Amino acid sequence: MSAVESNFEYVKKDLPASWNKLGLLLTGIGLLLVVVAFFVDHTRAAFNNLIMLMFLSSIGVGALFIIALEYLAGAVWSTPYRRIMEFLAATLLILPLVALPVYMNLHDLFHWTHEEAVQGDYILEAKTPYLNIPFFTIRVAAFFAVWIIFFFLLIRNSKKQDESKDQSLTTKNIRLSAIFMPFFAITLTFASIDWMMSLEPHWFSTIFGVYYFSGTVLAALAAGTYAIIVLNEKGYFQFKLVKDHFYSLGALMFAFINFWAYIAFSQFMLIWYANLPEETFWYLNKWEGSWMFVSIGLIFVHFVIPYFGLLSQPSKMNPKNLKFMSLWILFAHFYDLYWLIMPTYSADGIAFGWMELAFPIAGLGLLILIFSMRAKNQNLLPIGDPKLKRGLNFRL
Amino acid sequence: MNDKILYGYTGIFDTPDEIINAAEKVSDAGYKKYDINTPYPVHGMDGAMKLPPSKLGYAALVFGLTGTFAALAIMYFMSVLDYPIVIGGKPFFAFPAFVPIMFEVTVLSASIATVVTMIAFFFKFPNISHPLHGTNYMKKVSSDKYGVCLQSEDEKFTEDGAKELLASLNAKDITPIYFPDEVHEKQTVFEPKFISLLLFVAIITSGGTYFALNKLMFMLPFNWMMYQEKTVPQESSTIFADGFGMRPPVEGTISRGNMPYQFKDQPELAAMLLKNPLVPDEQTLATGKEKYDIYCSPCHGYFGEGDSRLRGQYPNPPSLHSEKSRTSSDGSIYHVISAGQNIMPSYSTQLTRQERWATVLYVRALQRSFNAKESDLE
Amino acid sequence: MGVIDYTQEAPAIEGRPPLREIDDLISKPLESKPDKKYYIALAITTSMLGIGGIALAASLYWGTGLWGNNNPVGWGLPIVNFVFWVGIGHAGTLISAILFLLRQRWRNGIARFAEGMTIFAVMTAGLFPLIHVGRPWLAGYLLPYPNQHSLWVNFTSPLLWDVFAVTTYLTVSFIFWYVGLIPDFATLRDRTTNKIKKVIYSVTSLGWRNSNRHWQHYEMVYLILAGFATPLVLSVHTIVSFDFAISIMPGWHTTIFPPYFVAGAVFSGFAMVQNVLIFIRKIFNYEHIITMDTLDKMNKIMLLTGMMVGYAYAMEFFIAWYSGVQPEQFAFINRAFGPYAWAYWIMVSCNVLFPQLFWIKKVRRNIPIMFVVAVLINVGMWFERFVITVTSLSRDYLPSSWAYYTPTITDGAILLGSFGLFFTMLLLFTKTLPVVSIAEVKAVVDGSQPSHGHEASSEGGGK
Repeated sequence: MSAVESNFEYVKKDLPASWNKLGLLLTGIGLLLVVVAFFVDHTRAAFNNLIMLMFLSSIGVGALFIIALEYLAGAVWSTPYRRIMEFLAATLLILPLVALPVYMNLHDLFHWTHEEAVQGDYILEAKTPYLNIPFFTIRVAAFFAVWIIFFFLLIRNSKKQDESKDQSLTTKNIRLSAIFMPFFAITLTFASIDWMMSLEPHWFSTIFGVYYFSGTVLAALAAGTYAIIVLNEKGYFQFKLVKDHFYSLGALMFAFINFWAYIAFSQFMLIWYANLPEETFWYLNKWEGSWMFVSIGLIFVHFVIPYFGLLSQPSKMNPKNLKFMSLWILFAHFYDLYWLIMPTYSADGIAFGWMELAFPIAGLGLLILIFSMRAKNQNLLPIGDPKLKRGLNFRL
Repeated sequence: MNDKILYGYTGIFDTPDEIINAAEKVSDAGYKKYDINTPYPVHGMDGAMKLPPSKLGYAALVFGLTGTFAALAIMYFMSVLDYPIVIGGKPFFAFPAFVPIMFEVTVLSASIATVVTMIAFFFKFPNISHPLHGTNYMKKVSSDKYGVCLQSEDEKFTEDGAKELLASLNAKDITPIYFPDEVHEKQTVFEPKFISLLLFVAIITSGGTYFALNKLMFMLPFNWMMYQEKTVPQESSTIFADGFGMRPPVEGTISRGNMPYQFKDQPELAAMLLKNPLVPDEQTLATGKEKYDIYCSPCHGYFGEGDSRLRGQYPNPPSLHSEKSRTSSDGSIYHVISAGQNIMPSYSTQLTRQERWATVLYVRALQRSFNAKESDLE
Repeated sequence: MGVIDYTQEAPAIEGRPPLREIDDLISKPLESKPDKKYYIALAITTSMLGIGGIALAASLYWGTGLWGNNNPVGWGLPIVNFVFWVGIGHAGTLISAILFLLRQRWRNGIARFAEGMTIFAVMTAGLFPLIHVGRPWLAGYLLPYPNQHSLWVNFTSPLLWDVFAVTTYLTVSFIFWYVGLIPDFATLRDRTTNKIKKVIYSVTSLGWRNSNRHWQHYEMVYLILAGFATPLVLSVHTIVSFDFAISIMPGWHTTIFPPYFVAGAVFSGFAMVQNVLIFIRKIFNYEHIITMDTLDKMNKIMLLTGMMVGYAYAMEFFIAWYSGVQPEQFAFINRAFGPYAWAYWIMVSCNVLFPQLFWIKKVRRNIPIMFVVAVLINVGMWFERFVITVTSLSRDYLPSSWAYYTPTITDGAILLGSFGLFFTMLLLFTKTLPVVSIAEVKAVVDGSQPSHGHEASSEGGGK
């Protein structure tokens, strides 16, 4: 491959219709099963729905974070496929819908919503100024609002640039990204506290937001990498990406795997060592009965396997390996969320049945559907971005 | 000049583009033993020279994993097998607590080993007598020029061929490089000088280690933990007037678990009020016999007959089988043991209350054995 | 400045200096005799060191009673200083390893110097635990060797992890630094005309020949070392945070401590590096190598890490309330409004409020203001360690064992001495070794890399 010429014409290629069909099919089957699930056992369905909500938020917010990070760091290697992240970030738009069934079943999920349970419980009573349904609703609405507003602002400028090729739009987006970062940190933290930490309302951990953040970025990155490699294989980018691009994606995933492990270990270690009953019960719940195997499995699924899968330099440059590892990491993130959320539902052992499969099918379908819908009326390359050519010519 | 041995031919280039081009041409021409010298790593040079990727990553992996497991094994040996101590209620094999040190040792061993591997085995450094050192060529390429050096060792190498190739690449300053005058013989491992150096190092290291661990640690100030400035039991002391290092307890001190004897000067009250709380079972009597044999028998004799083993150093006590003794109450005997009588001292510091009562029971048993009744045989 | 052109990469080195000029410029301090100002600076730092030395000698002779440490505040200034200096040491490895992995080319101009600062800061930090034990010559017992007590060290103690972490960090930083210096020693060796220097540089350069067969492995090793140093730098301050966080002391035991300490360490380290670089670039005329853009980026990183630290403060407070654990709640209210409120608010204002000035581009590019802000950051970070260490200890679970801790003049003198030690080593460094990496700077000068047409052929190399 030679260097990209200074002038080139981008010809938009539509994604194959099969993607859209696959998305529709999966969504259809998934949603049907989901509806049945809510009729069969609404508690269990609500828990599964929560996992899916967190999974889709991970991809949506994570993708938005990666876009902002690219602007802030002035990175060029990711510019050619920033659109992929933008498509993924569009998941944010359906989050309120995904959250709706969860919101309607709050009593099934959150112990603190039961007034009779809170009464007489000294700790829960003290928390009522924060953990109450009106405030919870306001917060959740605020998170979605912040994410969607920033999504629209960032994407709008990026789209506009396709036409105008105006460099000042990049500057604008850099500013927006800088403003987004503190909002992102706060909303993501409190979203994780509200949706997941408060499942066990007595438990608390200051690092919890960072823990969810590490998984979030990883999931978005993995989803993006998978899409990028598939599109690149089929030639949708018009320019073949080279090993340097793959290496960068692989290295970033590798870094976040380590970061996740670091955060997860720090949290576990400090609680294990201090051995305070008000903290340890959370881990002990996840050690109860067959949950023990899930907990041990988490170390391997989320750390050991992807670590060795992406350790060597050639493995980060090999698109096939990356494709497999990115799917694996998506699975690992799902596994992580399952491990975080499900022990609250069934305390004595693993709960795994058709319902646990129905929700991921629906989620996956939605993801593909949104992706292909967004891709339909947008360019796959940010053709107006001044950094595009540098990005295509990127070498280590 | 020509009796020197030729090392190779060098040429100089001015720009990075030229040197990349030159590297490609030289490697295309089939040269294997040549080198490119640049003041900094030039991008794309590995490809131009067709160098295989560096294998150092494997060294890092191997040494890193060795470090991890060595650390784990050492910690396992020390805190699980050799000297297990419970600390903070943690298990002996406290794996999460071992992780930080495993990680640190991994990084340490991998970093040191990788760098040493690179320097010693990949570069064969230190080597400060290479023919290229001190040449004008080296001075240029370590500052701002880019050079090619074709080595005479190469199979394809001929003096004219090399010159021609360099000229065709528009190289400047095409110069031959010769080995230094005194050609070094191949150094072998078995050279006496090297062997003696190794021996010297071995002796110094082992001697130093021996000294540090077996001598130094017992010298000042390292032995301060063992020889502390304090008075240990049985030592004399200049601080107190009586010269004793050990101090008697303060007046009225009671040892832990002890209760003062409340009828010290009231034998009548004691005889009247005190009741034996124990029942004469086998265990109590065994305790009583043990204590009697230790504390009472020297004067009273093993059977309470007053046949002292002290051979007249003290006046013999009266027999315990006298009418007076036999008819006195348990409380009265307890009082005598606790408070003493006549020349007999108090045994309250030697015997606990339980033991005193057990001794009373044993004395009762002795008395009964000397004045057994018919009914006892039943 | 005008509008930024994103189609071009901003040059890491301003202008396009000829490579030989870079050699001349960087090796100038090594080849010229130090001037009067240098000696004045050295005199100041060595006197600081001397004062610290005297205070230290006194406290070793008469005992640690000369310090303010009391019961329950057994961890006074020595531990505060230890954490502070280890934190300063983090910027160097961050710049040399993490920014290297992120391919931030602007790091090349400042990496060497920052690495040097890392080593000196860690050396300074390493002294404090030894000082704190009161009998530093017994520190050998911390190593797990078969000693005459036939006892092993306690591997479950974070204080022992510290021993491993700090020594590993010092060793790996030193190796990293030395590996970076090898090509520069070769350049100096080939420049110098002084016989003695030539011998020294020949030995220290190990016979480096600038060979590309070597550069290839060298770059690999640099990558591997950076790969190892990155988690290492996180682990070191993580383990330092474990010293506090594994206990059950309210205000210490909180799970966010590891990343929070790391962010704080990078924060203070960058502030210190920025402070010193401002002088270095001025005195040695390195304005085009250590550019304003570089300082601007460093200030941005300070802003980022400062906000991370602020996030951690807020999370600690929120979770303390949310946890419903009374001692925890008390510890935080006591921090902000108790007897050490003054220290707490110094910390918050210096670490969270003042760095917000870096949102403004003019401030990020104004040397006097950024210098002052960075100094304030270091003050704030020192007080952060003070607040964490002292407030929690001084308010024990039992009100009967509460006490106020006041550092004594000896404590202050030892702190002053640590600054003296650090800056003395730094001054000696500037005159003995190239403070900017010659080879790395050359590699990022415009035009020093082949134009892209040739890159095509490099595709075959990865097979």
